[in-house]
Amino acid sequence: MSTLARTPALAERLGITDGRGRAMWVLGLCLAYFATLLLAAAFMGDAGLSTDFPNKKLAPCFEFPFGTDWLGRDMLVRTVKGLCRSLGIGLLAATVSSVVSAALGTLSATMGKRTDAVVTTLIDLVMATPHLVLLILVSFACGGGATGVIIAVAVSHWTRLARIIRAEILQLKQAEFVMVSRKLGRSPWWIARRHMLPHIAPQFTIGLILLFPHAILHSAGLTFLGFGLSPHNPSIGILLSESMRHISTGYWWLAILPGLSLLVTVKLFDVLGNSLRVITDPKTSQE
Amino acid sequence: MHVPKRLSVGRSLAILAAGLIVFCAMAASPALARDTLTLAVKGEPDDGYDPTLGWGRYGSPLFQSTLLKRDENLNIVNDLATSAALSADGLAWSVAIREDAKFSDGTPLTAEDVAYTFNTAAKAGGKVDLINLDKAEATGKYAVEFTLGKRDTTFINRLISLGIVPKAAHGPGYARKPVGSGPYMMVEWNEGQQMIAEANPHYYGRKPFFKRLVFLFTDEDTSFAAAKAGKVDVVVVPQALAVQTIPGMTLHPVKSVDNRGLMFPTVPDTGKTTDKGAPIGNDVTADLAIRRAVNVAIDRNVLVSGVLEGFGRPAYGPCDGLPWDNPENKIKDGDPEAARKILADAGWKDTDGDGIVEKDGLKAEFTVIYPAGRSIRQYLALACADMLKKIGINAKVEGKRSWDEIKHLMHSCVIVFGWGAHDPIEVYQLYSSHHAGDGWNNPGYYTNAKVDEYLDGAISAPGYEASLELWKKAQWDGETGSNAHGDAPWAWLVNLEHTYFISNHLDVGVSQVEPHGHGWPITANIQKWTWKD
Repeated sequence: MSTLARTPALAERLGITDGRGRAMWVLGLCLAYFATLLLAAAFMGDAGLSTDFPNKKLAPCFEFPFGTDWLGRDMLVRTVKGLCRSLGIGLLAATVSSVVSAALGTLSATMGKRTDAVVTTLIDLVMATPHLVLLILVSFACGGGATGVIIAVAVSHWTRLARIIRAEILQLKQAEFVMVSRKLGRSPWWIARRHMLPHIAPQFTIGLILLFPHAILHSAGLTFLGFGLSPHNPSIGILLSESMRHISTGYWWLAILPGLSLLVTVKLFDVLGNSLRVITDPKTSQE
Repeated sequence: MHVPKRLSVGRSLAILAAGLIVFCAMAASPALARDTLTLAVKGEPDDGYDPTLGWGRYGSPLFQSTLLKRDENLNIVNDLATSAALSADGLAWSVAIREDAKFSDGTPLTAEDVAYTFNTAAKAGGKVDLINLDKAEATGKYAVEFTLGKRDTTFINRLISLGIVPKAAHGPGYARKPVGSGPYMMVEWNEGQQMIAEANPHYYGRKPFFKRLVFLFTDEDTSFAAAKAGKVDVVVVPQALAVQTIPGMTLHPVKSVDNRGLMFPTVPDTGKTTDKGAPIGNDVTADLAIRRAVNVAIDRNVLVSGVLEGFGRPAYGPCDGLPWDNPENKIKDGDPEAARKILADAGWKDTDGDGIVEKDGLKAEFTVIYPAGRSIRQYLALACADMLKKIGINAKVEGKRSWDEIKHLMHSCVIVFGWGAHDPIEVYQLYSSHHAGDGWNNPGYYTNAKVDEYLDGAISAPGYEASLELWKKAQWDGETGSNAHGDAPWAWLVNLEHTYFISNHLDVGVSQVEPHGHGWPITANIQKWTWKD
């Protein structure tokens, strides 16, 4: 009985009854997962990446939770390192994309009709090209390799966020409180800082975080298709394409476990972005 | 606006229907046409199918035929030639050719064509080594005389490997549209995709069973997937995949002299570059102790069982098991203790405790490069790097996607290369200073005056038998040589067994010991292939 009585109190104290508290928890757990991933990759060392013929093609077991591949390399180490590499590419690409989109979105909304036309045409142009084709073209043009993949993923993901930011600023410019501020003689800089920024910042952060999964998936896709990194470097796309030839003969762990890890990681970014939106968006932050 | 829309729906339906018909036809065709054979055996040449530019230099040019050829037991037998004799002074070959041979366009093959082929190939200065050929001359309609400037005991191998081209039809476009006297003729070639060949109606030899051959030029994974889907009849797979089973197909391992090894730049980096700007030299691998230590440290048996799944044998030289191989090339390998001692004796010590040895401030580090599309070379590079780590050498492994990149790096980095031919000239190309930095030959700029002397001696020996001893001495004469006891410009790793999966219905007879995998060695006896139900 006592536990029953205490449960609501505990739940309330932990803050899981309201939406905001729940979102905080989810946020924390997601961050903990990514931190663990990064730390694990940093502390694992390269021992698991070296060939170990006596232990090749082992199914998942206690010693090798993800099994080993045909050269005896530890799949757990390869998966973690591969995910981290993908995270790195994702981070870089998402940062570049969000900076580009913030700059272009703001330019387009504030610099008059002509600039707006140029920027929106550019956005339409990039969006109208099939994404994968654009990625392949750019990475090829940049000479392939890791740099090719990074540049390709970085320059092709900014369009949607740029549109959102442009729309948001256009809307804010017509908002009553902004009009009133202007009439009251506030400088454009003051208005941008006090009225615009608080609205743009959450959109921007969430946009950035939601770019992550796209960037990761696309970099995995590109490496899967054979662009980019040296094939022996662990990268999730390469792991998947390598395992393709082995999967039909029963080495299921070579494809399924790295694939699942990729899925979980990408999904968690999605969850992270959504929780952050719940917390920071003025419309939902009070629920 | 409605009319065009309806039209386009109609059109797409029509396309769909047409597609369905084509699809059904394709699905039905394998059951009907068993005179067509689909092969995914790689070997698409970059330079096309012109023998004078190097096509078929490992034998079996398919579209062309050669004066002599090797049978399943590697004995030399006549093909186009009816007789071939070397003069007593070793400076002239007189060859008589058969009179019934015709090219696939129906024109007869005469001595003029043979002479033209050899003279053109010699002038082209490509991959065909005809440096000692003075001239080839037609002395009759069906008799040719080859005059050598110098004695050349390996010249007979050019009679075996150089496919004869028609003088009338040979020109700049020939490599894309070859005409020859071989068992098959080319019908269509989509570069990078596939090539279709049909039986040559004018072929003088035994008529092949299969009327049509389709060669697919897909990468390893795609070929394997196609084989699993039952779309190909012959597929070559990486040895690592040979342990798998493919329904309806049997594994057909073929012994080969196709080897893989690590090529070391043997000169220090002095800032020199080739005329194309590729850097020359590597300070670490220029040290003999490093090269010897690598040779001793690598456990070749582990490579064979681990990487090749047992489909191969350890390699200690470029020509293991061939008559000109020196049995003393074999060393005791897989011995990290001995390797460490070699390094320590030469002054390589780990002074900063990072596990990598140094000498005079130079870390024992080099980059090992493999072509990214070749999985076996990748695995060999990785496995070797791990074996070398144990003796304090840091080999950084890197895959490169194009051969052009590798060409740029091969004078300054360690490369996983493959060689192997039924021709001792390869020993010459690998180790002679005359070939240093020349094309793919001797990229490590290996030079040893004594070895050069033996090699030149072997070429100009009185006869083939006499040359064998000199070829062996070039590898190791008890004091110096090009093997791992000597200067160790290479660390030879493994000889492969080529692993094919062939359809259960296909009988390919006895395959000969295959050379390095350029071209299609398995087609050497294609006239004897049959289909059984």
